[in-house]
Amino acid sequence: MDLARLPNDKKLQLCRWYFKVGCLLLPFVWAVNAIWFFKEAFMKPPYDEQKQIKKYVLMSAVGAIAWVAVFAIWITVFQLQRVSWGATGDALSFIVPLGRA
Amino acid sequence: MASFNFLVLLLIFSFCRSGNLQRLHEKIYSSIEGGAACFRRLNGTHQTGCSSADNGAVGVVHMIKDVTDAHWLVENATAGPYMVVVSTALFYDVFDLLFKQPELIAGILLYDNATKSAPQFSQDMSCPNDYSAAEGSSCSAGGVVWNPKGTGLLRRDIPFPIFYLPESRSQEIDKIDECYQRYNSDKNNQKGKPLCSVQLHSFMFAAVNTEVCLRRSASSALLTPTKVCDPLGDYNVYYSLFPRTKDTKNKKVTLVTARIDTASLFDGVSPGAASSVVGMVTLLTAATTLSQMIPIADSNLYDENILWTLFNGEAFDYIGSQRVAYDISKGTWPAAAPLTVDDINLHVEIGQIGGALNKLELAWPLYAFIPYTNVVPEINEFVNTLGSNLQNNISINTEFSTHFPPSSLHSFRRILKNETESAALPEVLITDHNAEFTNLFYNSALDGFDKIDFEYRNITVDGNGTFISTDALLANGTMKEVDTQVKIARLATAVSRTMYQRVAGKLYTGNITASAHLVDEMLYCFLRSQACRLIMAADYASSGGAEEKPPERAAPLYVGVATWASTPPVFAAHLLALLTGTALPVNRTQCDALNVPGFSQYWLRGWNHSGVCMQTTMNISAAISPAFIIEDYDLKSGVYSTWTESVWQAMWARVFVRASGAGAGAAAVAGALATLAAALLTYWLQRHAATIFTNAPQHSIVNDDAASGILRTVNC
Repeated sequence: MDLARLPNDKKLQLCRWYFKVGCLLLPFVWAVNAIWFFKEAFMKPPYDEQKQIKKYVLMSAVGAIAWVAVFAIWITVFQLQRVSWGATGDALSFIVPLGRA
Repeated sequence: MASFNFLVLLLIFSFCRSGNLQRLHEKIYSSIEGGAACFRRLNGTHQTGCSSADNGAVGVVHMIKDVTDAHWLVENATAGPYMVVVSTALFYDVFDLLFKQPELIAGILLYDNATKSAPQFSQDMSCPNDYSAAEGSSCSAGGVVWNPKGTGLLRRDIPFPIFYLPESRSQEIDKIDECYQRYNSDKNNQKGKPLCSVQLHSFMFAAVNTEVCLRRSASSALLTPTKVCDPLGDYNVYYSLFPRTKDTKNKKVTLVTARIDTASLFDGVSPGAASSVVGMVTLLTAATTLSQMIPIADSNLYDENILWTLFNGEAFDYIGSQRVAYDISKGTWPAAAPLTVDDINLHVEIGQIGGALNKLELAWPLYAFIPYTNVVPEINEFVNTLGSNLQNNISINTEFSTHFPPSSLHSFRRILKNETESAALPEVLITDHNAEFTNLFYNSALDGFDKIDFEYRNITVDGNGTFISTDALLANGTMKEVDTQVKIARLATAVSRTMYQRVAGKLYTGNITASAHLVDEMLYCFLRSQACRLIMAADYASSGGAEEKPPERAAPLYVGVATWASTPPVFAAHLLALLTGTALPVNRTQCDALNVPGFSQYWLRGWNHSGVCMQTTMNISAAISPAFIIEDYDLKSGVYSTWTESVWQAMWARVFVRASGAGAGAAAVAGALATLAAALLTYWLQRHAATIFTNAPQHSIVNDDAASGILRTVNC
């Protein structure tokens, strides 16, 4: 899809749609939205729908970053604490490592 | 162009043909065959034994030919980690040094040296099974240290793999030594040189402890249904002189026990000659002799029964005897007619009696440990009777002590003490030592037939299964009084006569004795080769008539995992059926259809290999620790044995010459330089494209909205 060929109202529609889909616990869609529409929101000369697009891009970006932060914290905690959690740690593991704690 | 690509492809294929790769692989590595690896076992709280990394452990070969080589390794070595190659004779002197600096050691390759044999070798604890000892009988808490030469490695978490090469594989050691002499002999200039190296692979799946590994075995997610460990266990074997059914079970019982199993650090190498086989063979022979003295048809004449029992898994916190004691306390053993503790008049354990056997010493001093400080009449009477029946240089001395050697008595006292009315179990343990073990190879890979000076006489057995009597063998000079077979036969005779006196209440006046010929055959079966006369005759007769010859080596006596029965208890069970049972004149179908209370029938091959129906009171019961059958048992509680064995995929070892590392370094540097040069060249070409290529596009056009250009190409 070439954004340059799209009319502005369609751009807004598309950006909003991506944001809404991202709300279904799909942070990767938010990340795509934020990157894809970044130029439209912040670098193109102003047009009517740009303010709204800017809002969705910002919200998508913040949402995606929040997800990344949450994941990073969880992964760090899990990797460091799995062994000390014992049975819970094993139950949470998809692949239990062989030959070590 | 297409044909050129095709040619390149063909060329690559011709290089990658497996034959060529195989040859290249063989040029680099030479595999070390016939090694036995140390593996991992786990209990309720710890992991023990060895494991390599997932891709094996690699180390520079270092042959230890005397103790100074070990000192050089820990003090001056520069090219580590090292793969230590050491003989069993030197191991005891250097292992402490090596284990102090595990970061220097990649692994140990242990080999048995034909010319220089080890004076002692035991990897069990100096206080074996101390955590399962009866109350007040702990050896580490001030008692006699039974196994002072024990290194304790069997119960230690070893940070590197260890492989063992038996004497028969000395050519592998010669190969490694040759490679070592050629590449590693300049010991002080090893760094940066190509060096002879060994890779050991024995990666273990289980870790931490039994609780963790059983949990992971049970709950492994959808993706990886991997079993990582199995509980240790096998079968106990028992046989009663008279049939025991629900109606006749009020007869009092004398329990005579011994153990089947032994252990070692290494997979598949546990000969156990002095540790367990002598005791087991004595029991089997005595049971056979007694069954000849008292015909089974006379069972109504007597009020006393003898229950001969062989425990399995005793090396690992008394698995077999703990289970039997536990089952007795629950009233479920033996399954057909359960015993109560008060039914047991006397419990005699034939313990470790093989350590003092040798062909130079005529005397065989035995000791009867009575675990009480005061005199218990029942036990004393037994020891006196046994003493009076012993002759020809075998003596028995009584030791009254609550500190008694490792044996099934510990299990019975721990589990059944509170079950009796008097809180006293009439027990006695027969050993060949009154302080530390006379066997210096307790539970080890070197506890072979040579340690009890066993020389096989290979005397034929006739079609009726009659064995030549000991006296006849002595008279015709085939055997001498100092021979191991004769000594064991004498002891078995004394035990069976003592048991006769207990059952019949009078002295035995007949002339039946245990045959040294039978002992000879039995020792051969358990210590030398499974392809022996007794096992061939006692095996199940196959329906097709074809005889499958068992392997010509002894079956390892390690208890193994509970998933399947190992060979030794099956042999022992079949031997009891064949030697003590009654041959019935029926054919196979009738034999299988028989159902007599108190008996079971086995269709065995028989002495002339034509098939025979043996009716016997022999049976087997599970030797799996109560820890694994009690629901919600706390594995950390230490009440019952919790040993499990890790699962592994492959064990192998190979020797190769490792490159100095200079080549690899040069390749890395060259690669980095080439990448850099290519990048610079590309950059330069791009900068000067207009001058180099005559029709090159203008610089500005190329850069115009590159992102949208990309997007255009993926237009949807």
